[in-house]
Amino acid sequence: MDHERDHDLDPELHEAVGRLPQSVDPPEDLWPGIRDRIRSGGARRGRRAVFVRWLPLAAAAVLVVAVAGWLGGGARGTSAAWEVQRVAGVPRVGDAPLGTMGTIRVGQWLETDDSSRAVIAVGAIGHVEVRPGTRVRLLRAHPTDHRLALKYGSIYAQVDAPPRLFFVETPAGTAVDLGCAYTLDVDSLGTGVLRVTAGYVEFSWSGRRSIVPLGAAAQIRPEGPGIPTVEDAPEALRRALLEFDFAGGVAPAARAALAAARAEDALSLWHLLQRVEPPLRPAVYDRLASLVPPPPGVARDAALQLDGGTLERYWERIRRIAWRREILRGVREIDPRTGLGK
Amino acid sequence: MPALAVNALVRRAQAGDEAAFEALYREHAGRVFALCLRLSGDRTRATELTQDVFVRCWEQLGSFRGESAFGSWLYRLAVNLVWSTNRGDRRREARVLPVEDPGAHEARRETSPPGLRLDLARAIATLPHGAREVFVLYDVEGFRHEEIARMTGIAVGTSKAQLFRARRLLRERLER
Repeated sequence: MDHERDHDLDPELHEAVGRLPQSVDPPEDLWPGIRDRIRSGGARRGRRAVFVRWLPLAAAAVLVVAVAGWLGGGARGTSAAWEVQRVAGVPRVGDAPLGTMGTIRVGQWLETDDSSRAVIAVGAIGHVEVRPGTRVRLLRAHPTDHRLALKYGSIYAQVDAPPRLFFVETPAGTAVDLGCAYTLDVDSLGTGVLRVTAGYVEFSWSGRRSIVPLGAAAQIRPEGPGIPTVEDAPEALRRALLEFDFAGGVAPAARAALAAARAEDALSLWHLLQRVEPPLRPAVYDRLASLVPPPPGVARDAALQLDGGTLERYWERIRRIAWRREILRGVREIDPRTGLGK
Repeated sequence: MPALAVNALVRRAQAGDEAAFEALYREHAGRVFALCLRLSGDRTRATELTQDVFVRCWEQLGSFRGESAFGSWLYRLAVNLVWSTNRGDRRREARVLPVEDPGAHEARRETSPPGLRLDLARAIATLPHGAREVFVLYDVEGFRHEEIARMTGIAVGTSKAQLFRARRLLRERLER
């Protein structure tokens, strides 16, 4: 025990701590329950991410192979294996090092070390760059359910397909592709971040759902996804939302978020409206409505009741404004309250 | 159990050997349960958490590379899981309590039967969440403030303040 450890700990308490048993038997044998849960599956994952640059040529090569296979083979998209290309280093598929090209079958792991990268063709609908320090598993390769498990690490996914065909399961929830490109970093305990560079991604876990559009990001924690923020959101807003989502600040944090939000942050307030307790909803709605006026058909009372159709209409306006703001960035200045050019 | 034997069990469990994992469970269940019990302050909750820890351990065994002892890795995983679960629980509790009264929940947890002389284990269970968790990790489990901060996401200063508070409260309760 070091000096710091002895400080303030009086001898009697110190002695009592020393007498505490290191081990306490559980009240019952927990193994049968653990064994049953293990056998029932529940793929969950883990470790740290390393960010490196994307190699578009490799992705293109994999896509060409995948599409050629799709066109030539007809049923290729329904096979239980996807094409994989080595980009750098020596990725491993299962126990074997990956050559220039290979396949990953359902149930197999693809693992990259700190200097290797690979690109997986997602059937015929897209590709996933597996960055260094990553472990992914192919869970399902079906035309209506393309599914990977990201145990830990970093991936960049680009999918060109109708929504809800590509899924990535992580330790903190599932990313559902809504027609998009995104980067997903997550560590073994479910801490990470989702950044969307095209389209939209839905991330959900335990009843908590975030829709992250182009130009926005959402923090991920073991409890699930945080409220998304646009990339240039004020620091005070980011802090307040993190506090609200993960640190138990709740009401004070929600109020701090309202104070910090701009019209550009409407998507964050739209999520916040659905997460605060009912007494706080009016304050959130009124702030949101003052920043981005609601479209016709959105009634305050219905929004406060979290009516699905009402929220959807409001979201439609918010997402359109956010989209125009992103794609016209540097081209034309957009009014964040209306989405129209200034 | 000798370290070599533990390492062999870990390798077998990593390859999917359930019997090896059961042996690891038998070896470590008591310590993990003790940790969960002290961190949660509730026996039923500790039972659930211990199960969760071993299920999570099984799921994440592939990421264990032997850079530390398996037991240390497992206890860190347990601390992380219990901490994040407790935070989630507290968050849910906070939402059903009056938002203007942040001390209400803590006050409820701090209440103990009057006149009852508690032993240390029971006194720990009556500490407020944050103070209890830091006390258990620092004084009982031997983690340093920097490690606690890294594992749990709180500031080093917060960890020190919670420890000071826990010791003061324990002292008061044990002297009742």
